[in-house]
Amino acid sequence: MSKKIISSKHEKEHEATITARPSILEHELVPKHEILSKAEVEELLKKYKTSINKLPQILVNDPVVKELGAKVGDVIKITRNSPTAGVAVYYRVVVSEP
Amino acid sequence: MVKGSIAAIKFGILSPDFIRKMAVAEIQNPDTYDEDGSPIPTGVMDPRLGTLEPGQRCKTCGNTYLNCPGHFGYIELAVPVIHIGFVKTIQELLRSTCRSCGRLLLKTEMIENFRREIERHRAEGRQYRHIFYKVKQQAMAATVCPHCGEKQYKLELEKPSTFLEVTPQGSVRLSASVVRQRLERITSQDLELLDIDPEYARPEWMVLTVLPVPPVYVRPSITLETGYRSEDDLTHKLVDILRVNKRLKESIAAGAPSPVIAELADLLQYHVTTYINNETVGISPAQHRSGRILKTLAQRLKGKEGRFRLNLSGKRVDFSARTVISPDPNIDIDEVGVPLEIAMQLTVPEVVNPWNRDKLKRLIRNGPDKYPGAKYIIKPDKKMVRLKFVHNLDEVANTLEDGWIVERHLMDGDIVLFNRQPSLHRVSIMAHRVRVLPYKTFRLNLAVCTPYNADFDGDEMNLHVPQSDEAQAEARLLLQVQRNIISARYGAPIIGAIRDFLTSLYLLTKDGTYLDKQSVGFLLASMGYNGPLPPPEKSEPVPLWSGKQLFSLLLPRKLSHRVQASFNPDDEVVMRDGMLVKGYIDKSAVGIEKPNSVLHRIAKDYGSEVAANFLNSLVRLANTFINIRGFTLSIEDLIVPESAYGQAKQILTEMEQEYQRLKSEYERGKLEVRPGETPEKAFESSILEVLSKTRDRIGSLIRAYVPSSSPLVIMAKTGARGSTLNIDQMIAIVGQQAVRRERPSRGFLDRVLTFFERGDLSPPARGFVINSFIKGLSPIEYFFHMAGGRDGLVDTAVRTQQSGYMQRRLINALESLYVEYDGSVRMSDSKKIVQFLYGEDGVDPAKSDHGKAFIPRLIVERVMEEYPETTTPVSKELVVKEAEKYEEALPPLILNELINTTLRLKAPAEAVPVIFREAYKTYLQSLVEVGDPVGVITAQSIGEPGTQLTLRTFHFAGVREQSILLGLPRLIEIIDARRTPSTPIMRIYLKSPYNADPKLARQVARKLQFTSLGDVMDEVRIDLRRNLLIVKLDRDAMRELGVTNSDIVKTFKHYKAKISGENELVLMMPEEVELQMGQIRERILATRVKGIKRIKKAIVRKEGDEYVIHTEGSNLREVMEVPEVDFKRVRTNDIHEVASVLGIEAARQLIVEEARQVLREQGLDVDIRHLLLLADMMTINGEVRQVGRHGVVRLKSSVLARAAFEISVQTLLEAAARGEMDNLRGNVERILIGKEVPVGTGMVNLLMLYPGRKNREASESNNSG
Repeated sequence: MSKKIISSKHEKEHEATITARPSILEHELVPKHEILSKAEVEELLKKYKTSINKLPQILVNDPVVKELGAKVGDVIKITRNSPTAGVAVYYRVVVSEP
Repeated sequence: MVKGSIAAIKFGILSPDFIRKMAVAEIQNPDTYDEDGSPIPTGVMDPRLGTLEPGQRCKTCGNTYLNCPGHFGYIELAVPVIHIGFVKTIQELLRSTCRSCGRLLLKTEMIENFRREIERHRAEGRQYRHIFYKVKQQAMAATVCPHCGEKQYKLELEKPSTFLEVTPQGSVRLSASVVRQRLERITSQDLELLDIDPEYARPEWMVLTVLPVPPVYVRPSITLETGYRSEDDLTHKLVDILRVNKRLKESIAAGAPSPVIAELADLLQYHVTTYINNETVGISPAQHRSGRILKTLAQRLKGKEGRFRLNLSGKRVDFSARTVISPDPNIDIDEVGVPLEIAMQLTVPEVVNPWNRDKLKRLIRNGPDKYPGAKYIIKPDKKMVRLKFVHNLDEVANTLEDGWIVERHLMDGDIVLFNRQPSLHRVSIMAHRVRVLPYKTFRLNLAVCTPYNADFDGDEMNLHVPQSDEAQAEARLLLQVQRNIISARYGAPIIGAIRDFLTSLYLLTKDGTYLDKQSVGFLLASMGYNGPLPPPEKSEPVPLWSGKQLFSLLLPRKLSHRVQASFNPDDEVVMRDGMLVKGYIDKSAVGIEKPNSVLHRIAKDYGSEVAANFLNSLVRLANTFINIRGFTLSIEDLIVPESAYGQAKQILTEMEQEYQRLKSEYERGKLEVRPGETPEKAFESSILEVLSKTRDRIGSLIRAYVPSSSPLVIMAKTGARGSTLNIDQMIAIVGQQAVRRERPSRGFLDRVLTFFERGDLSPPARGFVINSFIKGLSPIEYFFHMAGGRDGLVDTAVRTQQSGYMQRRLINALESLYVEYDGSVRMSDSKKIVQFLYGEDGVDPAKSDHGKAFIPRLIVERVMEEYPETTTPVSKELVVKEAEKYEEALPPLILNELINTTLRLKAPAEAVPVIFREAYKTYLQSLVEVGDPVGVITAQSIGEPGTQLTLRTFHFAGVREQSILLGLPRLIEIIDARRTPSTPIMRIYLKSPYNADPKLARQVARKLQFTSLGDVMDEVRIDLRRNLLIVKLDRDAMRELGVTNSDIVKTFKHYKAKISGENELVLMMPEEVELQMGQIRERILATRVKGIKRIKKAIVRKEGDEYVIHTEGSNLREVMEVPEVDFKRVRTNDIHEVASVLGIEAARQLIVEEARQVLREQGLDVDIRHLLLLADMMTINGEVRQVGRHGVVRLKSSVLARAAFEISVQTLLEAAARGEMDNLRGNVERILIGKEVPVGTGMVNLLMLYPGRKNREASESNNSG
């Protein structure tokens, strides 16, 4: 599951660490994070008639963001296990500071 | 009078010029009035500032006191004075700018860099406040000015407002005028980098040269009965200022020596400081002659009694009433009985039209003193006729025209808001229909006691009459009682039958209750039934009807349902086609807080009107029946045969023996002591175990003598009142009394009372009450009972305070959240998104079935009834295919449940599309309404049960050794986002071989547990001659903790560690280190030889079929690295640690789980959506933020919203220096300025642009909402 969502650039590097160190992405508290493409971001913002700075935020030094290799300004799609809906999608924009 | 509306509020500092310009008079004279009591011109009461006396006209504007807005004056200060509120800002400014040229102490290119950075952030709409902080930090560090090369000196602030410059020649005091000069030199461009808006807040304005004098309205004087005038505190302070100012001016003019002038200047500074803030640290507060401390400007704004919270966030209203409440089961649940006297005071405006003209004329003829009458008439020109002063009412009535407004008395059927404080949740204010009744109390139906939390021991309630048609419609459609039967907190009825109604219904509907024709007629009449009489169940010898039959008449005709009785959970209550066919009615059928009860089904499936009618009839039926039958509890019901107590005595003797056995074991040191327990604790907990066992045994022994027909049992089991514990205490044994959750132990030395030996730990000496209430307590028992009772009262008092503050913070943090048209949750001020779909499935708990949009089984069963002849059996493919159509429409969890239920119940193929259609329809009906203030609902849902949470609970989680903070303190800890929990714990799951074998698991536990050298040694010797430290090791401890020699040697290899023969560890001391031997020893003993930092204790426990390690102390990062640990499942309760190791999403998840755990532990039912919203709000900007002034509230964009919460004055001053603008978009700000809030019904705007006419306001509100 974790492999799929890692951008190709970081894949090798990550592969090496995974054997040495447990990956936090596999922890049961951590939901699936993926980086949205530009087009998907556009679509999201259009769907909610909003702008990027009105989205919930995630810090660039968040451990999961670091694993993903996301940059400031990227939008992360989070697929949570939801007690009410089963699966729920959330979005956070990567920012440099709170 | 100027009319208009406030579009925004800009904060800033007044410039001296502006102060002079806006003033109408210079105030110079310290005297207020002359001998004949008229104000002295140029004094603080100068008539040009406005007038307070009726009849007088203002010297400036010519208006009377009603219309004159008041006018400012000003005082020219003889010397500049530092504004106390800006001292901190001034200090920062002086330190980050050059003392000579006034430029920012940063190189030009750095200034440019920062400017660009800020520009960029601003353009992207991001936060940029932290950049200012960086600028200040770097500038303040400079020692030489990069612009003019001037050397910079250290600047010290001597509290409260003296600046000292530390030059090589010594400290030099900077006078206020020097400070002002330096501030003047700072360029406007530089100020923009220092978080100051130079246009609205030039720094030199922070040093006052001119002081504004507020109009007299701001500080009215009061005339006492004795004729003496008493002046306002501000006036007193202004007089002080003027007096010193005058003397100072004279001294300067006379050329007095500079020390004299400096002293006077200091005095002036003191007076101006206390005028602004009389609680400034470092100075003694100014006092009134009587010694009372003056309330000056800052004190007027601050705190609960300050302007913000007392007058702006909450306002006094007209058209309201308050009186004592009393019960009335004969009025409807959505009615309120209003005393005639009150109905004649309160009025409702009604516009005259052809249909009500005659009625209103009649009312006018009755006048104000005859009910039903009218009090006022308002003509179209706004002229008001007070009917009290009209002699000929007939004449007035005859002139009445359409379009006039008549303010008539309150009448039956009018809609009013009814409220009981504390208004902890939405249903503390509901709309009722008026019933004008005699006598002097408000009457309410007993079914609505629960939402209001009302009883009739003297409670009072408030009533408000909405005046406009819009308000009345809103009240009817949204606030009426029947619309609020289902609680938004837990999705089950909060309005329902209580107390004697439950008793009555049980007695009525239980098997064997039959009624003759007369009683039936009586009951049916009382519940307003006028259908046909059902055939009697028995006809011989006389016709008799069963209670079940009567109850069935209340049920909707098609209703079929089954519930478990609360009287006995094994008993099933079955309703089929509107008939109660089996079982009896009690709390779980028609009571409160019971999900999926009959009442819940009626409210959800048949609508609020049907539910209201059901409850109305139910209450009346129950009331009438218990009146006919009678129900009483007498002392006799508490008497059991004396023989029963014989056995009880036997149990008590056994207890005594058991205690003696434990005691001797304890004294001989033979008592089993669990790891981490002291022998005393082990003894105490064993005693407690024995005591509670004894109490239970005696309780159940005696309880067996109480028949289930006993009124006590009926009340306890039907859920009417009381519990089995209460019964036990009354008839069997009261049991252990506790103070602070422990056996009472304080009082005299080593004993609670002098009637015991010192150190007596026996049950009676420590508050064990062996008597029952009916037998009576001995004096000593009585004392312990009292102590326990007092402790309970104190606990309740402390708890209400704490949970009240928690609720206030929750409300302030979440107040702005609402549901947008697209289903997302946003903040009303900044429009930031908090959730993309409310509660992740969009379902409103108040329209749900205990948190679910619907119960799949019920939907499927209902549809299946329509297809009685099953023809085609259902196939999985068919259902899945049908489900696919709803993939986008229904949340996956709901869809899956529906699929499974359809298959499980073997629905016929024909029914499948209908099932899905029905389910989808129900789902749509249960969605949140657009505009719902979901944040407030969440805050209330978490805050309201706060009072029910226990305080001071350390719970022992299964294993007695591990204590966890629970209850209210833990909830507050989570909401506060404290850095570390007060009891950090971890739950560590292990990988395959280790989790199956307790030995292996224990090995891992030992490996994790932090062990220092000090834990495994006996004694230490220091050999000063050879510079050695010799540690004698404790072999037993080493074995216990799994420490080996090599562990120790490895740890101390830098000390050339050696282990010599007799368990001695020899360490070589480093010579060069100039440390005390003692210090070195301490450090060495604290050194880790094994384990993980902060993991204080690790215990292995069996959970299900695997062994799990529980630890005290938490270190997620390092524990996850341990190879034996199943890192995917490792848990900690430290939210910040999870945020830093696993990220913000994991932290959010943990907040939800931890909060849920606390509430569940205490048996409180709170819908998960509330916790989800809270957690999302707490993590919205990527870090875990506190619910309070440093977290969620601080990030509010509005100055006023922040000031209204906490730290009002400082917030306002900072806003002024920054030149902040408040656009008044959020809820708090709107309330402060007296406008409607932008959520709920207030978010709707009607936009109508006339062709060719640009409506600016309309297009603006279009953008914002």
